[in-house]
Amino acid sequence: MIKLTNLSKSFGRQQVLKSIDLTVNTGEVVVILGPSGSGKTTLLRCMNYLEQPSGGEIAIGSFSLRCRRASKKEIHELRQRSAMVFQQYNLFRHKTALENVMEGLIVVQKWPKAKAREKSAALLEKVGLAGKLDAYPSQLSGGQQQRVGIARALALEPEVILFDEPTSALDPELVGEVLEVIRRIAKEGITMIVVTHEMGFARDVANRVVFMDGGVIVEEGTPAELFQNPREERTRQFLKRIAPVPNYSI
Amino acid sequence: MGAPFDFSYVLDFLPKLAATLGITLLIVAGSLLLGIVVGFLIALPRLYNVPLVGTFSKVYVSFFRGTPILIQLFLFYYGLPEILKLVDVDLSRTPVLLFVILTYGLHTGASMSEMIRASVMAVDRGQVEAAYAIGMKRHQAFSRIILPQALGIALPVFSNTVIALLKDTSLAFTLGLMEMTGKAQTLGSITQHFVEAYLALAAIYLAVSMTLQKLLLRAELRLRKHEAPEAPTKQPFGLRRKGLRRRFAAGLETGKGGVKL
Repeated sequence: MIKLTNLSKSFGRQQVLKSIDLTVNTGEVVVILGPSGSGKTTLLRCMNYLEQPSGGEIAIGSFSLRCRRASKKEIHELRQRSAMVFQQYNLFRHKTALENVMEGLIVVQKWPKAKAREKSAALLEKVGLAGKLDAYPSQLSGGQQQRVGIARALALEPEVILFDEPTSALDPELVGEVLEVIRRIAKEGITMIVVTHEMGFARDVANRVVFMDGGVIVEEGTPAELFQNPREERTRQFLKRIAPVPNYSI
Repeated sequence: MGAPFDFSYVLDFLPKLAATLGITLLIVAGSLLLGIVVGFLIALPRLYNVPLVGTFSKVYVSFFRGTPILIQLFLFYYGLPEILKLVDVDLSRTPVLLFVILTYGLHTGASMSEMIRASVMAVDRGQVEAAYAIGMKRHQAFSRIILPQALGIALPVFSNTVIALLKDTSLAFTLGLMEMTGKAQTLGSITQHFVEAYLALAAIYLAVSMTLQKLLLRAELRLRKHEAPEAPTKQPFGLRRKGLRRRFAAGLETGKGGVKL
């Protein structure tokens, strides 16, 4: 279970996150929606301490830390309990697909090489890249790179995987293959928090959808509730812009 | 100047000069080693924004890059013993070679630090975040992710520095050191065949530079093997320009893909 309490973040004077409370249960898939600049990516990055929150508490499973006085050791512990999939994939460019997945197992979890290679190869096969183990990121398409990124996150068996707009940098025809992989691992019961603009994906896969705007959570609910009967005016406006109701009257 | 040109002297001088190549290469190797260490010490505080040390680094780099190497040699060779005499350290018996290596080392350190700084900054920040996200510590991210890639980026500049250093060592003869240029000077004076001596000297420098360049190029190719090897090498001009522009556009930070309302 992931629990954020009173989480806030300011860049200088600008408050980007205003005391966010969010609970995600084990096995749940939560999609965060919201307009540009609403703070959804910052929220995700704060959970992994890639951005230092200005205040509040983060708890993952049995581990919790208070953001103001987090020590290096605590931050390290927090990061080991989560994994992140980035918009720009952020693969290690001097390492092959296989080495990218192995890296965390070998360096962080101190696995023996042979065992790490075996597990990584199996994971790459799972994301449909069995034939690309020795390819460098520069030899892979965006979709393939992102699937390596997902395998890299899965390898560490984190308690939660954070997806930061995993398909936003992809060519439209490559979005499907990545979403398909995420959908498959969601079915396995891995806890996920996904920032995305893929409404179809949110509708099909999410257990819960959270709508953010202006650094606060405006409303949350099941996809059916939120997409069909949004309670808040701001949510309604946002959904209208994203998926306008067709109007054929002349 | 002296006797009429006689090519046989060139051939005669070549082995005699080559015998002193060792000292020249010793200066190059010694100052490279010192330069790399100094380069890191100077670059890291600036990379990680350490306040006071960072300012010192800046002054250091401006001094060594902004003054001629010849003046630096004189300052260290004649100036350093004078200063150290004040604290009762006697350097009058220290061999010239040490002064030369020290000066060239500190001088190279300045260019090395700039090279290190630029190439570390050129490694994509996102990969560092990814390394942190999978639980790596700062030093692990630096040594396993940044450094190997920075090396590949730095190598072309490094090659230039090494070759410039090799040629700069010829100035060490001004302190009376018998390296290759000093030897050529002496051979010229004895035989009065200066041009032949300098021709032979130039030939040796050229051969060494070209060898070094070849070796470093090979190292560079190996370090950058992860960059798409099937990238087209020859293309009509128009096509290439278009491709470049595309690659540039693809490399641009697209930022957050949020929907603008």
